[in-house]
Amino acid sequence: MSCTEAIEAFADQVRAVPGGEYLEMCYSCGTCVSKCMIQQKVEPAYNPRRLLHMVMMGMREEAFKSPTTWLCSACDLCYPACPQKIRISGVVAAVKRLAVEAGYESPLETASVDESMCSGCAICVMVCPYEAPHLIEKEVEGQIDSLSEVDPAKCMGCGTCVGACPLGAIGFKGSSNQEVRRQIQVKRQKKNVPRLVTFVCDWCLRAEEDLSLLESYPENVRVIHIPCAGRIDPEMAVTALHSGIEGVLVCGCAPGECHYKRGTYVGRCKIDLLSRLCHPMSVARDRVRFVQIGTQDRGRIRNEVDAMLGSLVVQKEAR
Amino acid sequence: MAKTKSKSKGRPKLAFYWAASCGGCEITIVELGMRLVEASELVDIVFWPCIMDFKYSDVESLEDGEITACFFNGSIRSSENEHMAKLLRRKSQVMLSFGACSHMGGIPGLANFYDADSILERVYDTVPSLDSSRGTRPTPTIGAPGEIEIPTFYERVKSLAQAVDVDYLMPGCPPVADQVWKVLQELLSGQLPAKGAVVGAESKNNCDVCPRQKGGSRQRVKGFKRPHEVELDPHTCFLTQGVICCGPVTRAGCGLPCIRGNMPCRGCYGPPDGVLDPGAKLMSVIGALVDTDEPEKLKEILDTIVDPAGLSYRFGLANSILSELKYGPDPALRTAVCPRDQSRKEGALSPVTSEKASCLSPPRGHILSPALREESHKGDIYD
Repeated sequence: MSCTEAIEAFADQVRAVPGGEYLEMCYSCGTCVSKCMIQQKVEPAYNPRRLLHMVMMGMREEAFKSPTTWLCSACDLCYPACPQKIRISGVVAAVKRLAVEAGYESPLETASVDESMCSGCAICVMVCPYEAPHLIEKEVEGQIDSLSEVDPAKCMGCGTCVGACPLGAIGFKGSSNQEVRRQIQVKRQKKNVPRLVTFVCDWCLRAEEDLSLLESYPENVRVIHIPCAGRIDPEMAVTALHSGIEGVLVCGCAPGECHYKRGTYVGRCKIDLLSRLCHPMSVARDRVRFVQIGTQDRGRIRNEVDAMLGSLVVQKEAR
Repeated sequence: MAKTKSKSKGRPKLAFYWAASCGGCEITIVELGMRLVEASELVDIVFWPCIMDFKYSDVESLEDGEITACFFNGSIRSSENEHMAKLLRRKSQVMLSFGACSHMGGIPGLANFYDADSILERVYDTVPSLDSSRGTRPTPTIGAPGEIEIPTFYERVKSLAQAVDVDYLMPGCPPVADQVWKVLQELLSGQLPAKGAVVGAESKNNCDVCPRQKGGSRQRVKGFKRPHEVELDPHTCFLTQGVICCGPVTRAGCGLPCIRGNMPCRGCYGPPDGVLDPGAKLMSVIGALVDTDEPEKLKEILDTIVDPAGLSYRFGLANSILSELKYGPDPALRTAVCPRDQSRKEGALSPVTSEKASCLSPPRGHILSPALREESHKGDIYD
């Protein structure tokens, strides 16, 4: 096989996978990189433009090893910006599929199922944005049982399944509800200062100032990082309120900007439903709030936290 | 079968009592059929007002701890309920919270959505089938002729464990007769688990035993329906059909009579191990199942859920975390909530430990022993 043939062979393979057919249209302008959250927040070497170029150059091994292949969560922020209207996530997914077939493994921390707890309810299967979990029949303690299993090649680590699993059977190390509840503890400082727990999605804050602001809050504002707003569990919110904390604020990405496709909508639905439980029990709806912060909303987190603290003071005085 | 003291010295003594309940739990005991006759050869039933003419004085005349086990059904709605709960607690070695009302507040617990005044107003003034012109309201004492006292109607409904110290919790509306028989046998043979355990049920949720075809990838809900609004497929998961089923957040053990009857689970067996608040957890499941492909329609989809609070707390409102938020902290509930959490921390399937306690010498103290309770609080937000 000549050099040109080898190049063609790899590019053809990618083109043959659904989504990979747009490969040829890229002219390497780099607009996608400027939009990408991964490049900014996680991996400076992340570069969809270069990955597409590697494929066109037939750099098979390099493409399979590239972080771009594994980190793209198909949020499609780059898609509307691309002058060629390439669905880049589709091309990346095509490369990833070939990489998995070639025996490469995802470097991400992916969800795993505790078989002793799983009941095989398939809630995780239904809610996953990436179709990573599926049900399998497996023998557990001498009995054939239906259990969930996560395909690590598909899992992107958003935690939507973790929030939805009724038995806490699926999860990542150190991110169970139990662990999160441990982080919630906020000691009372002064009598009239309300305490607030803020769950912040790892992706919704872009600006350095906003991120450093989270570090600088006093003791009464506890910030808990979650991979995605879809990870939130209303049970964590009510246990926080139950432990005497006045308010819970959940921050997710703006509509259309969710890093994990549907997480921010899932978070919104859950908090909306929780408020529908709180209202008939005379628990003020305002005590749990969900805000969606966009890539353009620099500095908004400060306003949201201040507004929430302000309304909690008012509510406290009213009581 | 009762009041045969001379013949039955040394036999275990059982008591059955109902507080705020419908009587279904009593029926489930009768459903034991011939097994009940068999049991009556082995035990003395010293108190069972539903079946025979017993008086409070029959209980009062017993020694403290003389009753081996009391099956207490019904929630605590009035001062009379609470009085009897306390009296029976004192007279019984094992206090068994029997049935959903006693376990979690049950259907009467739904009254916690309202305050006592508005309930009395509805029942005595505004209900259309009543002539309210006389303005009658129950008052705790009436003067002439002679002083009559009637029980006080409480502001809220409580589960049994919120009123007295409870040894075991047996869920169900009503508990299934076979499970009752099993628990009764365990009780009589001294095979019961450690105090505070849920007995007569499994540790996982109903989905674990549900035979229906479960959902597949991307199978989400575009609009929720109530069971009567849709022709339900008897072989597939209710959630995939857009009908809310409490099965995922409900403990298995009932044998799925509702689900086999093509009706979604209503949650009477209470939360499984690891779930602290079944309502909030159900919202976590339902919220994630909403189809998010058209974000502008999310609110519309959520609006199709009729009465989410009543749906998810149908049986568990009185001992829910939300109820505590409304009425203030209740130390009894806190310990009732914690053991499940504790078991989860250790990776155990059930709060039942290997340590077996004889019914004749039940562990004293609270639902958990002080040492275990301290352990269960360590590092958790309940500190």
